Amino acid sequence: MQTKTGSPSGTPALAESRTSARVYQVLRLVAVVMFLFLFLPGLNPARISGLINRNLSLFTAGISHSQLVNGFSKAFRKGWIEESTLTALQIGSLACVFGILAQAGGMCASLGSHKLKRIGTGVTLGGAVVSMAGLGCIFACHNAFVNAEKADKLEPVLPVDFAVLAVFIAISAILSVILLATGKKAAKDEKCEIEPKYQLFLMCLPFLLLAFLFGYLPLYGWRYAFFDYKAGDVLSMSNFVGFKWFTYLVQNKATRRDIIRVMKNTLGISGLGIATSWASMIFAVFLAEIKNEKYRRFVQTFTTIPNFISWVLIFAVATAIFSTDGFISNLMIKAGVWTTGKNLLASDAHVWLQMLAWSLWKGLGWGAIVYIASISGIDQSLYEAAKVDGAGRFARMWNITIPELMPTYCVMLLMSVANILNNGMEQYLVFSNSANQASIQVLDLYVYNLGIGNGLIPLSTAIGMLKSVVSVVLLLVANRISKKARGESII
Amino acid sequence: MFAKKEKGYVPPKMHEKLSAGDIVFSIINYTVFGVFTLACIFPFYYLFINTISDNNLVSSGKIDFIPKGIHFGNYLAVLQLGDLGQALVVTLARTVIGTIIMVLCSALAGYIFTKREMWHRSFWYRFVVLTMYLNAGIIPWYLNMSMLGLTNNFLAYILPCIMVPYNLILVKTYIESIPQALEESAALDGANYFQRFYKIILPLSKPILATIAIFGAVNHWNSFQDSLILMQSAPSLFTLQHRLYIYLNQASNLSQMMSGGSVSQAALNSLMNMKVVKYTVAMVTVIPIMLFYPFMQKYFESGIMLGAVKG
Repeated sequence: MQTKTGSPSGTPALAESRTSARVYQVLRLVAVVMFLFLFLPGLNPARISGLINRNLSLFTAGISHSQLVNGFSKAFRKGWIEESTLTALQIGSLACVFGILAQAGGMCASLGSHKLKRIGTGVTLGGAVVSMAGLGCIFACHNAFVNAEKADKLEPVLPVDFAVLAVFIAISAILSVILLATGKKAAKDEKCEIEPKYQLFLMCLPFLLLAFLFGYLPLYGWRYAFFDYKAGDVLSMSNFVGFKWFTYLVQNKATRRDIIRVMKNTLGISGLGIATSWASMIFAVFLAEIKNEKYRRFVQTFTTIPNFISWVLIFAVATAIFSTDGFISNLMIKAGVWTTGKNLLASDAHVWLQMLAWSLWKGLGWGAIVYIASISGIDQSLYEAAKVDGAGRFARMWNITIPELMPTYCVMLLMSVANILNNGMEQYLVFSNSANQASIQVLDLYVYNLGIGNGLIPLSTAIGMLKSVVSVVLLLVANRISKKARGESII
Repeated sequence: MFAKKEKGYVPPKMHEKLSAGDIVFSIINYTVFGVFTLACIFPFYYLFINTISDNNLVSSGKIDFIPKGIHFGNYLAVLQLGDLGQALVVTLARTVIGTIIMVLCSALAGYIFTKREMWHRSFWYRFVVLTMYLNAGIIPWYLNMSMLGLTNNFLAYILPCIMVPYNLILVKTYIESIPQALEESAALDGANYFQRFYKIILPLSKPILATIAIFGAVNHWNSFQDSLILMQSAPSLFTLQHRLYIYLNQASNLSQMMSGGSVSQAALNSLMNMKVVKYTVAMVTVIPIMLFYPFMQKYFESGIMLGAVKG
C-alpha cells in the first residue's frame, strides 16, 4: 500500500468511469447487505428445517457443528436423516460464508486504483461463485430433507431468505462479469494503491464493525418487546402483540406493585447516593489539611484500593466481617454481648443504608482523587490573602476551596442525576438474599431476574427499553443544563 | 510522577504558633482519616490472617487480630480444587489476551481517528462514541450475544471489550497532543500509515496506553456478569470472580464441593471447613490486585484527569 495519492485509474473515458463508479456503488451496497445475512438469524438461508435453532445465524451454522445439529439428536437416533447430510449442510453454509466474506473483501479493494479495482472485482466474482455453490449445496441438503422417509418429522422448509440471497449473489456475479468484460485491462506496471482517505477508512473498518456488532446490533433485540416470545419461539406476525407488554406493566396488578417497589428502591438508593455525593469533595478538602505528606499519601493509597476490588470480593469481605461466624460476631460473643453469632447481612433493616455504606466504602477515596487534583491547582495566594484578612481555617475552606471545587462537583452531580436509574446490578445481586430481597431489588436487578431467571424475555426487554430511553433523555437534559449554566457540555 | 504532581498541593510552611483550636482540629482530622483508612485495610488483613492461621482456631473463631499457627497449606490445597485452577487459567487468559488486543486496537483506532483525511472521519468517530450512551439493556444484549454465537464461547470475553469508546477518546485526545511534525517528517520519508503508527505514535503514547491497559486489565480480572450470564452451560469457562461467587453462596458442606474434583486426601485434611475455603479463594482473587496496585497507582491518577478532557 502506498500513501501517495495517485490518479485512481489510467485515463478511461469520463462517461465510462462514471457508469462504472455507479455499478461499483451498487456492488458495494449488495456486499454490505449480504454481510448482514451472515449474522442475522432471521435471514439465515441455511435454516432448511424446523429442527434447526431459530437463533442460529448463517455464520454460526457454518462454524459450529454442535449448534447446527443441536435439535437433531432424536432425528439421528431414529434414523430420519443421515448425519452426513447435516455435515454437508454445514459445508455449504461455510462455503456461503467464505464467498460472502470474499465479496466483501473484494469490494473493499474496489476503493483502490484501477488495477486494485480489477483484482477486487475478480475476487468478488470468485466469491459469488463460491457462495452460489454453497447455496447449491444447501439446496441439495434441502432436497435430501424433503425426500427423506419421515420428511414430515424433519419439517423441511426453504426460507424466503434463500431466494433473496441467491438473487443478491447473482446480481453481484453478473455485475462483476460486466465490469471485468467492459473495463480496460490494467497495465502491468500499474501499482496497487488506495487513496489515503479510503486507506484510513479500510484500516478502521474492523473497529467500526465491532462497534456495530456490540453497540448497535443489541438494539435490534428491542423488537422482542413487541412479541409474545418464549425462548426458542419464532417472531412472526402471529405472535406480534404491539404494545401489550407496555400496557401490561401498568394494568397488571402484581407487576405494577413490583414495579412501584422496584422504582422505590432504585430511586431511594440512587437518591441516597446523590445526597451524599459531596462526601468525596469533603474528603479531599479535609485531606488537604493534613500537613504530614507521608500520612496523607498513606491515607490516599489505602482508601483507593477498594475501588479496584470487584463487588463479589467485597461481598466476600462483608461475609468475613459480618456473617454468623465473622469478625463482629466473634468479638461480640467474646465480649459477652451476644450469646450466638448473628448474620448481619441477612437482615431487612436499613438495606438502603447498608448499600450506601458499601458504595461509600468502595468509592469514597477514588472519588476524591479528582477533587485532590483540583485543590492542587488552586492559587495559593488566595489563601495567603484570606489569612491576612483574618479568615480562620473553616472560613478559608468554605470561602475559597469549596467554591473552587464547585464546577467539578456540579458535573459529577449532573452525571449522577442522569444515571439515577442505572444502579448497575452486580452490587445488589451479590448482596441480595431471601431476607432483604424486597428492599434491595433495583431496576437493573429486577430486569435480570425477570429475563434471565424467569424467562420473561418480552416483559423484561420492555422495561429495559423504557429505562434506556429515560436514561438517554435524562442525560440530554443534564447536558442542556450544563451547557446553559457553564457553557460547556458534559457529553 | 506522583510526587511531582503533589508539589504544588502542599501548603507553604507556616511558622506561626499553632493555636489550641488548630491542635484539636488536627488531632480529630488525623484520627478520622486514620479510622477510615483502617476500615479500608482491616477486612483484607482479617481475611489474610484467617487463611494462614491454624484451621482449628479459625473455625472456632479464635483469630481476631493476630495470626496463630502460621501455615500456607490452605493456598496449596485450594489451588488443587480442579474448577478453581481452571477458573484461574481462564481469568488470566482473558486478562492478558483481552488487554493486549484492546490496547493495540484502541491505539490504532485512536490514531486513525486523528487523521483528518479519513473518509467521513467525524461521522464514523461519532458512530463509535455514541455507543457509550446506547444501552439496549441486559436481555437484548444477551440475545445479541447468543445470536452471534458468543454464548459458552471464550471469545465472548475478548471481542466486546476491544472497542471501548471511553478508551478510544482518551487515546485519540492524547495522540492529538503529539506534535504533528514528528509524523510528517516520517511521511516525507515515504512511511505509510502503519509504519508511522508503529514507529512513531505507538512508542510516544505509552503513558496513555499504560493507563488504559491498567483499567482494562482490572475490568477483565473483576468481570463477573458476562461469565454469569453467557457461560451458563460451560462451567469450564467460568471466571475466578464467578467461582468465588459460587463458593460464597455454597452451603457449608465440604463433601458436596469436593464431589466433582479430584482432591487428594492431604488437601482434604488441610481444608478444614468451608469458611477457610471461602477466605482463601477470596485471597487468591485479591492478591494479584494488591500486587499490581503500586503500578496501577502510578497511572490511574493521570487516567482520571485525562478523562476530564473530552474528545
